[in-house]
Amino acid sequence: MHRTATVLLASLLAASALAAGADDPKIPRLAGGKPDFSGIWQTTSAADYDLEPHAARKDAPPGRGIVAGDAIPYLPAALERRRRNFDARLAADPRLKCWTLGTPRGIYYPEPFQALQRDRDLTLVFQFGNSVRTIHTDGTRHPAPGDSELWLGDSRGHWEDDTLVVDVTDFNDETWLDRAGNFHGPKLHVVERWTLIDANTIEYTATLEDPDVYSRPWILGVILHRHREKDFQLIEDYCYTLDYDDYYPVPKEPRP
Amino acid sequence: MTTSPLFRSALAVLVAAALAPALAAAQDGGGGRRERTVPSIASGDWTGPRLADGQPDVQGFWSNTIGNHGNWTDPQGGIPGDPARPNGPSGPREARAPSRVSDPADGQVPFQPWARAKQQEFLAHFHNPTEPEYIEPLARCAPGGVPKSLLWHGYEIRQYPGYVLFLFDSGTRIVHLGGKPHLPATIKLWNADSRGRWEGNTLVVDVANNNGKARFARTGEFASEHVHIVERYVFDSSGERYNYVATLTDPGVYTRPWTATIPARRYTERDEPDGWNFEVTLASRDGGAPLAEHAERICVENNGGFGNVAMTAAGAQPAR
Repeated sequence: MHRTATVLLASLLAASALAAGADDPKIPRLAGGKPDFSGIWQTTSAADYDLEPHAARKDAPPGRGIVAGDAIPYLPAALERRRRNFDARLAADPRLKCWTLGTPRGIYYPEPFQALQRDRDLTLVFQFGNSVRTIHTDGTRHPAPGDSELWLGDSRGHWEDDTLVVDVTDFNDETWLDRAGNFHGPKLHVVERWTLIDANTIEYTATLEDPDVYSRPWILGVILHRHREKDFQLIEDYCYTLDYDDYYPVPKEPRP
Repeated sequence: MTTSPLFRSALAVLVAAALAPALAAAQDGGGGRRERTVPSIASGDWTGPRLADGQPDVQGFWSNTIGNHGNWTDPQGGIPGDPARPNGPSGPREARAPSRVSDPADGQVPFQPWARAKQQEFLAHFHNPTEPEYIEPLARCAPGGVPKSLLWHGYEIRQYPGYVLFLFDSGTRIVHLGGKPHLPATIKLWNADSRGRWEGNTLVVDVANNNGKARFARTGEFASEHVHIVERYVFDSSGERYNYVATLTDPGVYTRPWTATIPARRYTERDEPDGWNFEVTLASRDGGAPLAEHAERICVENNGGFGNVAMTAAGAQPAR
């Protein structure tokens, strides 16, 4: 089943590059030889509007969807909750409160994030909320079960050839997966695969499992593009401060 | 009864508000990790370890050594007007750490009269904020900004070719090394826009695009959105200490440029995590001692005020 999903995904991504990445000498590498993901990245997909295939609607441009097999395999009760979320989406999406987007949503949200890489970790700074996620690649383990309940999860990565494989656990149930009300529970377990398919393109896939919400593990995938505009940089987006921004007029010298 | 996160957080704000004066007093009165003097560290050569790109290697966990954000000019003197300390600090001023204003010599921010009045107005209302603008933005989860983030909780520095990254308890700051121009002046930010370069043992950072909304401390000192700050992070080659020395120029607010000094020390796995100066989790691994990690920070999500470490019951620390 997993293999089938991967094949489906490959066709979704239309990435003949899938096979080309591993041996491509032109991808950037750290001094130690591992692929170097450093840079500022963003998807051009409509994934955040709705992970599943959708025609245009008032609140979303159309999108082919990024789910292998098209439909997220919800359990019946979860499908009903997704329907309620969808109906309430224009008010209930946690994004509207500027809450931390979660994993994997932060990756395909339509604002850039910056990857900063050392041998021991890969740090992701998301422009939205300026939240920070660290993927540890130093051999450390997840914290003991029950210790944490994180918005971005606890991320531990290892290398499989030139692919960074990240195991993410310890979630809470506060985040959504997109603006359409797709969701997960606290038992969410994500396995990400990060692969540079050329110097300026990352193929990103995530397998999501949650026995309380989905009938089986499922896979999503997006292509991330490097921002190459001159002097491009993140601009902090602490959007929750906008709600009270006007309470803080910068003190001004009184004019005569 | 099931408590929603929002309810819990509203409660947390109330509790935090009630406890804040006492906690601040305890911290600012000089605990085990409060020093009374500022070491002298000269700018000069760096003789310590370097990263592959040539930067002095100053990565790791750091925290200021003299006090919390209660009082900018008397870091261990508590907040004037604090109902929990109606008589103010005890003992002579010389018994406490010096002002963070290292120039002028009188230790006071050289405010123009109107700006001094604004600072005093904020302070006078701090314990009884009758208008929204008297509530410190940090208590609403706004980033601490420049320079306040350096005297708030401990923080982590990570370095990369072209960047120095500060992961604060409340906010994230990316210092760009190299010659990139600042953002257009119309863009104003809580953490401003930072361009840095290394001069020997000193990271020199030019700071522009400040939105002027953050206060430096609960005593209400401030700059405007026109402030220009030049920061000098002067590291001792031992890697144990550095001094933050910043010159603030803002002709509409101050009578002359002035200098702030904030001493800091390094924390490592040899130190006991304390939830404030050294606020980390320890990750286990095979074949080695646990490693300290800067845990995920959230704030607005549970409205607990300040930079909460995103953890639930088992590892929870009250915000303060």
